[in-house]
Amino acid sequence: MGMFSMMQVSASALAAERQRAEVTAVNMANAETTHTDQGGPFVRKEVVFSATGGSLFHSAFSSAGGLSQNPAGSVRLTEVVDDPTPPVQRYEPGNPDANASGYVSYPAINPVTEMVDLMGSVRSYQLNASAVSAEKQMIEQSISILKPS
Amino acid sequence: MASPPSLDVLQGYLKVITDRQQMIVSNMANVDTPGYHTKDIDFQSAMRQVMNDGDDAQLQPASMELQGLPERPDGNNVNIDRESLMLSQTQLQFQLGVQLVKGQFSQLLTAIKE
Repeated sequence: MGMFSMMQVSASALAAERQRAEVTAVNMANAETTHTDQGGPFVRKEVVFSATGGSLFHSAFSSAGGLSQNPAGSVRLTEVVDDPTPPVQRYEPGNPDANASGYVSYPAINPVTEMVDLMGSVRSYQLNASAVSAEKQMIEQSISILKPS
Repeated sequence: MASPPSLDVLQGYLKVITDRQQMIVSNMANVDTPGYHTKDIDFQSAMRQVMNDGDDAQLQPASMELQGLPERPDGNNVNIDRESLMLSQTQLQFQLGVQLVKGQFSQLLTAIKE
């Protein structure tokens, strides 16, 4: 626990929110992708966040052992999962990806949902960035004790 | 040195403030984590602990989950307004502590110079 581990906590949140925005951008870019390397349409991705290190024993242990681990209370993107929503079928007989009955599978991506998600991650990023500037100010104040007045 | 807040008290105060700021920052970091609950420290008991035990106090669990905040459907109850307010408040309290420490040292310096 200390001033600099506070900054690490905020930095973990900034990284996680940035990754979330990246995944949202991937979803938006591939909203109309009907063809992927795995075959079939693009599958929408979602991120899973989790809080790290709640136990005091664990944090005391890793700090005593000098393990470079994120301090307790930081956030981590644990995995990126596929959205199980089935693809949307559109009747386009001329499309090369159409099946025998003329339907093409499009990814079930709603641009409105993605935009709201993107805005949410941007706002959270801003919140944590302002926390970083508050921490910086506190550290500067501590350093100012050392300065001769 | 008989002036009211001694350096020991101020050191304990700054430590408690720093711990609290850490709680607020991790609440802010976990604003989008499903199932996360807002954590805070009880200022009075933490201060008492630091004053009595000195440096050993850090192994005592001083954090607690805050009750009475409305929970979102994903089980998270972090309130951004509360956290922003607490962030500024703690920042100012820290500034107060630092200014008092500086005051102590300048008094000492004056005593040496006179």
